[in-house]
Amino acid sequence: MLTLSRVNELAKYRELIIKLAWSDFKLRYKNSALGFFWSLFEPLMMLIVLYIVFSNLMRIQVEYYQLFLLLGIILWNFLDRGTTMSIYGIIGKPSLVQKVYFPRDILIISSCITALMMTMLEFVVFLIFMAIFKIIPTILVIYAPIFILIEFLLILGLALGLSALNVFFRDVQFIWRLILQVGFFATPILYPITIFPENLQKLVMLNPIAGIISMMRGCLLYGIMPPPTYLIYVTISTLIILFIGYGIFDHYEPKFAEAI
Amino acid sequence: MSAVVEVEDLWKSFQIPHERRTTLFENLTNFFRPNNYETYAALKGINFSVEKGDCIGIIGDNGSGKSTLLKIIANIMRPTKGKVVVTGKMTPFLELGVGFQPDLTARENVGVYATIMGLKGRDIEGRTDEILEFAGLQKFEDTKLKNLSSGMQVRLAFSTAVQTEPDILLVDEVLAVGDIEFQQKCFEVFDNYKKEGVTILFVSHDLQSVRMFCDKTLLLRGGEQVEFGDTNRVIDKYIYKSDEQDEVQSKNDKWGTKKVEIFDVKFLDKNGSENTNFISGDPLRIRIFYNSAELVKSPIFGIIVYHQDTYCYGTTTDFMNQGIPYVFGKGHVDFYLEKLSLLEGKFDFTIAVASPDYESSYDWHDRLYSIQVHKRTQNLGLFDLGGSWNVERYD
Repeated sequence: MLTLSRVNELAKYRELIIKLAWSDFKLRYKNSALGFFWSLFEPLMMLIVLYIVFSNLMRIQVEYYQLFLLLGIILWNFLDRGTTMSIYGIIGKPSLVQKVYFPRDILIISSCITALMMTMLEFVVFLIFMAIFKIIPTILVIYAPIFILIEFLLILGLALGLSALNVFFRDVQFIWRLILQVGFFATPILYPITIFPENLQKLVMLNPIAGIISMMRGCLLYGIMPPPTYLIYVTISTLIILFIGYGIFDHYEPKFAEAI
Repeated sequence: MSAVVEVEDLWKSFQIPHERRTTLFENLTNFFRPNNYETYAALKGINFSVEKGDCIGIIGDNGSGKSTLLKIIANIMRPTKGKVVVTGKMTPFLELGVGFQPDLTARENVGVYATIMGLKGRDIEGRTDEILEFAGLQKFEDTKLKNLSSGMQVRLAFSTAVQTEPDILLVDEVLAVGDIEFQQKCFEVFDNYKKEGVTILFVSHDLQSVRMFCDKTLLLRGGEQVEFGDTNRVIDKYIYKSDEQDEVQSKNDKWGTKKVEIFDVKFLDKNGSENTNFISGDPLRIRIFYNSAELVKSPIFGIIVYHQDTYCYGTTTDFMNQGIPYVFGKGHVDFYLEKLSLLEGKFDFTIAVASPDYESSYDWHDRLYSIQVHKRTQNLGLFDLGGSWNVERYD
């Protein structure tokens, strides 16, 4: 279980967590000429394609649609990357699991942090875009780190559960890929939530990542205060997922070394 | 003295499914067809405790559970039953270079590996240069690891790993890699650890190094604890594969295939008469009487001398290039000492005859014989090294 003493224990390993995350981050861009610019390139390409398709062909009318889209893509990418990288966090590092001991959730936390680092780079691009479009953020910008933190915990919860299950059922990785693909379109990333009828909107917004994306947009682009009850709902559902994730992870963790 | 590692009634079994279901699909489709598991007991009721500063060897054949035991002590695997209590900071050397990334530079890998091995950030900063120098790789600090030779990688890993300051060190066959010079270096490091009072658990097939290093040894066979105690005795037990029933006889051990039988052993003094009391410096002849019902080629006769549990000396006809072409019928073999260099005390003798490759022992009399040695000088100790004093004055 995720208890206070557990968090304390993890704090003792913070150097290891950071070191693993940082070396993973460096490794991603080690052999490429453009280095980490690639990670900026990818969302930008996606933005251009989607922007052309959706603003010209589908005629979606949203203020600052480019930024609306970019922010959605960045936040979705964070979830996509964090979970996809972590799902291999245990099975992809057999020597760290079988030959040395440290709390195994460190492997997952560090790969989520790697994803966070990449997302932070993308946020730099987002800030540049904001400057280009001359959007002056309001005081509500202080909510941004909170939403990033909530999303991080959400990703961590999912990643812990998925990575542990993937050790024993190797098709979890493919199933999750499928879910992510469906999720990309079922989440208001390309379109505003308002295109749905009222009751369907409620259903879509039950998804915490949909909530995080739309509240983040409200804060950064439109100066809309996040509705407190909904913010509480997103936070609590995130924490529930985190605890369930930890529960699954702890259940399977003792057998990792044998099952890999 | 207190126990730093305590292993109590430790059991570990693995479930090996007849068909391994690794995907969800396989699990779903076979949901109503129960999977048959083969339960394999890797460790069966292991019990021992290690005092602070001890060096413990763990020996046994492949598959006897040595590595599993080490992994459980290291907390990598969990026991099925029983418990392990470890007090103090533990560093496992189960594999060198855990977490090495081929695409990072030597220097970066030192940082990552040292952190994995439990060093603190500020310590690593200060020691990285020292580590690179020790590994002889200062020139290559910015070279990617994959471009270094495997020998260099091992050196780098080892140099990093030994920077840790453990209370308890778990070593699994690390020394098997590397050349003689590297192995020598390893031994020096382990020796230093030992002197600093680090507790070491050492799994190895290299009996010579176990004999050299370990105070006590644990012998495992098929997951069972055969023996835990004095290294030399345990190793002998392992080499000559004595069976369990021999344990019951303890001090009066006798075993073997009896292809060649030792039916008497006599200790003869300078007058040629049988005796159990000898004076240091006098001649001693050990006469081994054998009987062989069939013609046996190249048997090896051997003698081991013990003082209490200390292995003092061991020799065989093979070690001294005294090949015996064959034996057939009755006869005797003599081991002659012109000047008995034992000094004082009771010495036990193991007398044995074995097959040419030591594969099986024909007849093994384990410490069945003993003699009393008396000194004629005032010298002290177990042995007479036969030296002499000389004084010169410069007036």
